[in-house]
Amino acid sequence: MLLKRFSKTQRLFHLFLMLTFLIQSGTGFSRLFITTDFGRSLSSLFGGYEMAIVIHFWTGMVMMAGFGVHVVYLLKRINRRNVLDSLLGPDSLVLGPQDAQHLFKRILWTAGLGSPPRLDRWAYWEKFDYWAVFWGLPLLAVTGIMLRFPLLTTLILPGWVLNIAALLHRAEAILAASFIFIVHFFIGHIRPFSFPMNEAMFSGSVHLEEVLKEKPAWVERLKQEGKLEFMITKPPAPWYRVVYFIFGYIALGFGIYILVNGIIYGRYIQLH
Amino acid sequence: MMGLFMLLIFSPGPVSAQEEVTSKIYRYRERVATGYYEGYEVSPRRARAILETPGVKRGLVPFGRSASAVRTRTRLPDSHRGLNFYERSTCIECHPEQARNLHSVRAGITCRQCHGPEPIPAINHYYSPMNLIRRHAYVCSKCHEGANSGFAGFYVHEPPGTSLSTLKSFPSLFYTSWGMLLLLVGTLAFFVPHALMVGLRELLEKTKVPQNLTKKLGLFIRNAIMAGLRKRFMNTKPSKNETEDAP
Repeated sequence: MLLKRFSKTQRLFHLFLMLTFLIQSGTGFSRLFITTDFGRSLSSLFGGYEMAIVIHFWTGMVMMAGFGVHVVYLLKRINRRNVLDSLLGPDSLVLGPQDAQHLFKRILWTAGLGSPPRLDRWAYWEKFDYWAVFWGLPLLAVTGIMLRFPLLTTLILPGWVLNIAALLHRAEAILAASFIFIVHFFIGHIRPFSFPMNEAMFSGSVHLEEVLKEKPAWVERLKQEGKLEFMITKPPAPWYRVVYFIFGYIALGFGIYILVNGIIYGRYIQLH
Repeated sequence: MMGLFMLLIFSPGPVSAQEEVTSKIYRYRERVATGYYEGYEVSPRRARAILETPGVKRGLVPFGRSASAVRTRTRLPDSHRGLNFYERSTCIECHPEQARNLHSVRAGITCRQCHGPEPIPAINHYYSPMNLIRRHAYVCSKCHEGANSGFAGFYVHEPPGTSLSTLKSFPSLFYTSWGMLLLLVGTLAFFVPHALMVGLRELLEKTKVPQNLTKKLGLFIRNAIMAGLRKRFMNTKPSKNETEDAP
């Protein structure tokens, strides 16, 4: 039995972010590592050193536009009659004190002490994943625009600000890529609970048995509210599963390729 | 808003420096300036033109009698004056760190393309083309069309961000470097072990390791820690229950 977890719009947002993030990682790392064999081979995928920055800039612009659309979507989702429940209720992605409790309980559980936390719809690591974009993307966008238009920037700000902007842009990009390619990919693909792939973000649904195991509080709440029956959905078409499995593994492979080479060639580059 | 945004993207960069350089006033013929303050030179907004001798300040005018005796190379008209075997040396032999900058590594720019031929004036010498009052027009504009005086404040040879000496020379870079390093290390140091521990625990459950075995292992670790703490701080033996709980 499958339970609906993500709407089509939410999945489209994820797909959009995934595609733009991979392009940004590829073009950005190709520029950062251009003095190495890895950077040169990566930049050849994007038409060379100069073309890579053009793609990087415009993809960044599209990414920011998508981010803006998402913020509008988010604001529209807020129930104006019950704002507090929208922001702090169990369906909200806003971090709350119960997340700290769940984190503590889960750490104890991993050490074999106590039972796992009774998670609701969103786990604390999913909330962190979500909000990380909200400070990472604006920071990358602002510093990226400053670096793309240095003459305009220095009409207002002193030149040394560009040194800081370059450092922030690269360090934040490395942080984002490391987090996605190590932690997010591990949780989404490699950990035993998700292996070979957490399909929820592509199919939009999850097996009820899995939810009962990891997020029992959500199922209980749905039962109490009488919504569980309406959340039952059909399995995705086999061809669609094949498509997203291939796509997901290409993304995983690309991420690992960048991560491994980034570690190998890291000593040859400068961050600022 | 969209209009402003499009304007920001599509509008050409400023060309003020070019306009200024085309001034018909007497132009420099040497690397070291003549002393005329020309029309295209601008007063640097945030960086003062170097006029004082370091460490020598007397009254309102920051010059003293000993000024001529001070040999600070960053203020000499020929920064390499009097160096032994200078003719046979290369820049990188004495300035290896300065060669590791994005301009030379990425764009292949050589030292002399910016610093000029011999005699190389010190960057802070008042009449040097490298002085911040004219660096944008004489050096930056060679490649960066429309470079302004603010743009010339970019540190081409910036110090290593995490080095303690950077705290004095470029504090904002120092704090930003350490801030980002701590953020990166902190995030990964928390989430990587967390993800691995969860993965390991799930693996133990998936391979159907008996529940009581993992419980016993957990109790054993807890008791070992508690016994160690008691021994260290309270100098008492572990309770009977704790020794019995251990596998």
